[in-house]
Amino acid sequence: MIAFVLGVLLAAERNGGVLLILGPLGGAGVYLMLFRYYRNTDKSHAFESETRITAQPITGSDVKVDEIKGTRRSEIEGDNHKQHRKRVQRVT
Amino acid sequence: MTTLPPPAAGSGPEEVPPLPPPFAPPSETTVDTNNQRLDDGVNRCPMCGSTEIQLRPSAGLLICLYCRHEWAEARLDAKIETEGVESLTGTIVGSGATDIDTGVDTVVTMKCGGCGAEVVVNTAEQMGARCHWCRHTLTVNEQIPNGAVPDAVLPFTITHDQAVAKINEFAGKRRMFADRAFLAEFTPENVVGVYMPYMVIDANASADVGGVGEIETRRYTRGSGDDAETFYDADVYAVERHVDFAVDDLTIEGSAQRADMNTSVNTNNVINTILPFDTENAVQWNANYLNGFTSEKRDQDVDHTMPELEDQLLSIARSQVLGSLNSYDRGVRWERERLEVHGSRWLAMYLPVWLYSYYSERGGTAMVHYIAVNGRTGEVMGSVPVSKPRLLAAALTAGTFIEGIVLAILAAGR
Repeated sequence: MIAFVLGVLLAAERNGGVLLILGPLGGAGVYLMLFRYYRNTDKSHAFESETRITAQPITGSDVKVDEIKGTRRSEIEGDNHKQHRKRVQRVT
Repeated sequence: MTTLPPPAAGSGPEEVPPLPPPFAPPSETTVDTNNQRLDDGVNRCPMCGSTEIQLRPSAGLLICLYCRHEWAEARLDAKIETEGVESLTGTIVGSGATDIDTGVDTVVTMKCGGCGAEVVVNTAEQMGARCHWCRHTLTVNEQIPNGAVPDAVLPFTITHDQAVAKINEFAGKRRMFADRAFLAEFTPENVVGVYMPYMVIDANASADVGGVGEIETRRYTRGSGDDAETFYDADVYAVERHVDFAVDDLTIEGSAQRADMNTSVNTNNVINTILPFDTENAVQWNANYLNGFTSEKRDQDVDHTMPELEDQLLSIARSQVLGSLNSYDRGVRWERERLEVHGSRWLAMYLPVWLYSYYSERGGTAMVHYIAVNGRTGEVMGSVPVSKPRLLAAALTAGTFIEGIVLAILAAGR
């Protein structure tokens, strides 16, 4: 993984300075990883998967509304389809 | 769940149909879960008449300390209907989960059935007391609207020794960067069995979510060498999903203090993490299950808990529709969601947690760190205070090592 990130950044690097930030980033990552392992501040009950749920078949619609040409963005802006707990506008 | 077919390509922009109208607000009814066999006061062993009764966790049964007779209260599902979640309508509340009347005193006065003396029990702290005259054990079993007697209790089956072993194992893996004072004072034998108050909820609901999804149609590169850039073409879709679903025994904290999951000031999230419990095995209330353990009183009503229930139901709905989005390889941005709870059933339960707590105060900030063990499944989770100097030293070492590699690569490239 580190080699991959290094490779990508090396390819993207133009002035040689970008890579130097990897050291501080790596140090901060190690701090955060160890902190979470000890304190488990990111843990909570996974009720979405650990509760007995009976769901009917999903229904819905998919309507093409636009086309995008030549964007540099590799994914949709604001992708949140896997962030189940991130609330969006509540419609009544 | 079935996966929706991929969206039809080439269809022009269309007006997305509005979400269907909401249903009428549900009505509320109460089901009686009182244990009719028991009263406040003297409750005797059915075999010998003694009041020396307590839980034997290894069997999950009540045991008479005189004649060794063992028995269990009836399961709650034998007393009330707990099936048919898919057809629930309205709001059904167990009599032990009704709104707390702040005017009702937490102090209960019981008349001893052995000698006639009056014994006072503060239900905020305990659910039983020994008569100071005749030494009979008196227990509180009648549901009054102060939140002290729930609809059901799930007895401990994990023993104290098992809990100590699990806490030892958990903390043993987290020694190197742990706070030195924590390690010096670590005494897992001090773990306490606590019955925590929870609302256990069945819900029959529908949800709609709407947003925008994108499907990649082309990917190409412009330029070459260091100037090469990747570009994408994509089709944009208005995406709507609807799901009808039923949730069985969703478990939410019944104490405002425990429901506060702000990890910067408390470690309640680790207690939340050891959920779920096998709540289908909960039995009718008998305060003798609490002998030798401590308990916390419920202080949250249905209305207080409803926002959290709706939040969790929406999260479940979003999780359920995930499988129908596979064709959207560039992702989906949900922008609106709607929930309709057609019916819900609320039961207050005391659930068993072995809790090791450690008070830590560093730099003027105090925090109680918990290591919690599920008293039924043995699942363990905890918060171990860290030694920041050690953590910083590890981070500095790792950062220096990575920076050394980077410098070597840069030097080789010049």
